[in-house]
Amino acid sequence: MSVSVNIDKVVKKFGEDKVIDKLSLDIQKGELFTLLGPSGCGKTTLLRMIIGFHSIDDGQIKIDDKVINHIPVNKRKMGMVFQNYAIFPHMTVEENIAFGLKVNKIGKEEMTERIDNILKTVRIEEHKTKKPENLSGGQQQRIALARALVIHPKVLLMDEPLSNLDAKLRIEMRNAIKNIQQEVGITTVYVTHDQEEALAISDRIAVMNKGIIQQIGKPEEIYSRPANVFVSQFIGTSNIIKGIIKKKEDGLYVHLNDMYAVKMNNLKQDEIVDKQEVLVSVRPQEFIITNEESGIKGKIDSTMFLGLNTHYFVNLDSGERVEVIQDSEEEEILPEGKDINLNIKSKKINIYHADTKETLIKAGGHDEQK
Amino acid sequence: MNKNKFNLWNISSVIILLLMLIFIIYPLFLILGKGIFNSETGAFTFSHFIHFFERKFYYITILNSFKVTIVSTILAVIIGLPLAYMLRKIKIFGSRFIQIIVIVSYISPPFIGAYAWIQLLGRSGVITKFINDTFQLNFDGIYGFAGIVLVLTLQSFPLVFIYIMGALKNLDNSLVEAAESLGYSNFQRMTKIIIPLIMPTILASSLLVFMRVIADFGTPMLIGEGYRTMPVLIYQQFLSEVGGDAGFAAAIATIFVIITVTLFLLQRILSRQYSYSMSALKPMQAETLSGTKNILSHIAVYFITFIGILPQLVVIFTSFLETSGGQVYTGRFSLENYKNILFDRDLNAIINTYKMGFYAIIIIIIIGIFISYLTVRKRNLMNSVIDTLSMFPFVIPGSVLGIALVFAFSDEPIFITGTVLIMVIAFVIRRMPYTIRSSTAIISQISPSIEEAAISLGASETKTFYRIIVPMMLPGVLAGAIMSWVTILGELSASIILYSTETQTLAVSIYTEVIRGNFGNASAYSAVLTVTSILSLLIFFKLTGKKEVDL
Ligand SMILES: Nc1ncnc2c1ncn2[C@@H]1O[C@H](COP(=O)(O)OP(=O)(O)O)[C@@H](O)[C@H]1O
Ligand SMILES: [Mg+2]
Repeated sequence: MSVSVNIDKVVKKFGEDKVIDKLSLDIQKGELFTLLGPSGCGKTTLLRMIIGFHSIDDGQIKIDDKVINHIPVNKRKMGMVFQNYAIFPHMTVEENIAFGLKVNKIGKEEMTERIDNILKTVRIEEHKTKKPENLSGGQQQRIALARALVIHPKVLLMDEPLSNLDAKLRIEMRNAIKNIQQEVGITTVYVTHDQEEALAISDRIAVMNKGIIQQIGKPEEIYSRPANVFVSQFIGTSNIIKGIIKKKEDGLYVHLNDMYAVKMNNLKQDEIVDKQEVLVSVRPQEFIITNEESGIKGKIDSTMFLGLNTHYFVNLDSGERVEVIQDSEEEEILPEGKDINLNIKSKKINIYHADTKETLIKAGGHDEQK
Repeated sequence: MNKNKFNLWNISSVIILLLMLIFIIYPLFLILGKGIFNSETGAFTFSHFIHFFERKFYYITILNSFKVTIVSTILAVIIGLPLAYMLRKIKIFGSRFIQIIVIVSYISPPFIGAYAWIQLLGRSGVITKFINDTFQLNFDGIYGFAGIVLVLTLQSFPLVFIYIMGALKNLDNSLVEAAESLGYSNFQRMTKIIIPLIMPTILASSLLVFMRVIADFGTPMLIGEGYRTMPVLIYQQFLSEVGGDAGFAAAIATIFVIITVTLFLLQRILSRQYSYSMSALKPMQAETLSGTKNILSHIAVYFITFIGILPQLVVIFTSFLETSGGQVYTGRFSLENYKNILFDRDLNAIINTYKMGFYAIIIIIIIGIFISYLTVRKRNLMNSVIDTLSMFPFVIPGSVLGIALVFAFSDEPIFITGTVLIMVIAFVIRRMPYTIRSSTAIISQISPSIEEAAISLGASETKTFYRIIVPMMLPGVLAGAIMSWVTILGELSASIILYSTETQTLAVSIYTEVIRGNFGNASAYSAVLTVTSILSLLIFFKLTGKKEVDL
């Protein structure tokens, strides 16, 4: 039933601008695949190349090994959900959904059946005969989804479908989309610039920047082992501090200053030389505020109490500034201006080459350390 | 996406462009050509232009045109601006109704205003007689400069009013309140905040008024007497030179077009410079005044509105008066005038007007939808040319278009002078801009993703256009089309040159009856025209649920 999408070294130029440069991706049957990246990085452009609104300047896009580069949009059989929903305002909900069936010349009986089914799936049966102007954003979103799905497209494409909704509705709709996608089992390409949304909804994510894929992986991989400094900073919050790797008899140590070093067991040994300069990426919750003398010294600049946890903004003696999170329940709240010492959870942190900004953690590194 | 050269869009662009070249550009170039080439030798010559500027009898018309136009425009702003401000700022009883009345007085053709004011203030007008009898005066009626200015001012202030009402609606009142909190007086707030903010609108509407007034033919023709403006001169030269040398009329037309094009370009430059978009979070609220101020404002508003609508009331009233021999009112009421125009002669004028107007409006709607779609959505060189050319009718005075069409189509290969077709073509060219403007506005508001959605669902571009775009555009298109329609009904300046006995319209009939001094019939025809316009407008409001028109 569902199809795989194979994108092979595609290129898109707008004038002299190469917006997409030899980009390759494999999207598997039935998965919800997300293109994630900052605004302007080329997500929409890539999506519109897949559906056919943009021509493909070089490379190929294949559906189940069949090249589709030159198939016109209205023959590609892909469903698209637009950021502004693009509901036809002069038609009722039912007419909107029936539009694709009519132009595809589906028989009357099957049409009614399909419409009723999809209305049930997206839960808007009771609005069937209404004009869309009387419906809320979330409901319009469901119509758009139903209209795209009812033609039984090979692939479903969604471009920032939740960005026009308020925060609460966004979470509700993102769960709804995930559920409906799984129920239908359709291969889906989802575009967003919101990393939290991407983590919550996706089977796999491709993180993009400036038209180039930075990393492809499951949400938890991308979060815990970002492939480079860009991904580490784009997904969640990461403090980047400078360090030096020293090779010793018993292994590799990352020195964060003269007094404090942590032993790392999951580094790519072959790519590392002694005294190599690195960037250490530490998430705020991967710091430990400690009483021990050894550690990274700093002074609390400001404290933000957020209920469940407390955020500290700390100026390190090195001049760097970091964010630290502590569990409010377990630890007492420290005053601003206090001198503290920080340790780090070495199993969690990521190490990047200071020049290439690429990770020095071995593939699957998080499993290695015993 | 669609690389096919022979798709719907390219074909329609080519057809529209061809039509424009044949029916707008070719006739205009013909005029220019006739103006600068000697008709016998074919040699290049400025002699027609020199002839024009040598004799005061001719060149005075330029000065006359500018004088009446400038004065009427300024007066229209002086009346329209305060009226709009008062209606927005003060609670006036019946203000909705007042706005409709002002729209009605706007849509009625100026020459009806001229005719009505002749009945009131002309040589034997009601008011003239009353004044002369009461004060033992010898006032000879309002003709010439004063008459033209009176009529055109009253005809034009509604346009300024409607534009400024719109601008004031979009003016954020918190700006005014901010000024108030900073200690600005009422008068300072008006001059320092409100006027500067609506200045672009004032300028835009006054330039529109300027263009309309300078090109108006019927008013100076009827009430101007010896005071001749350029459209009048063009018409007279054209009539006297039929069969003779058309070069001189062509040269005058060319001069006139140069003037209007310059004004038009000026308007575009100004409006680009002075436009900022406003959208009111907190629009101005009308307040209830008390005491004398309240009474005075009501009197002022009612008085202006009444004067504006007076011509329509006059023609409808006089159409029910009995006349002896069509010329002199007997003072009794009767339906004789209607009997005359409806039963004692054929109904051609009325039927022609509706029939040709209907053909024209259908063509206007169809071409208007295509032009606006092509110029907004399918930008390319050809469609940019179409966009520019579609502005031309704003610039070409009706009388110039009229003689241009006669020059172009009185001979093989296209011989259509005197036919229904040439009238319909003139209507379409002259009144298309209203519809294009409103269609363009609405297509710009439709998100391109609506079309993309339809295409992604399997519809072809053509199907998307017919099933999605056209139905979505239609309400907005009709808002402009209603203006096209009612102004077709009152089109005179081109019709008067192009009509034949078979294609005579209401507007032409009114004009000729007035010229013949047959006031009874003129009033009855005017009443039919006025009532048709008002009914069209009311039906439009009713059908669309709108309360405004696109001017
Ligand atoms: N039709 C176009 N013509 C020229 N440049 C474009 C066009 N569409 C997008 N771009 C440019 O391509 C880049 C990527 O845009 P887009 O794909 O919309 O980014 P995203 O969806 O990730 O925010 C941007 O720099 C944008 O300005
Ligand atoms: Mg985008």
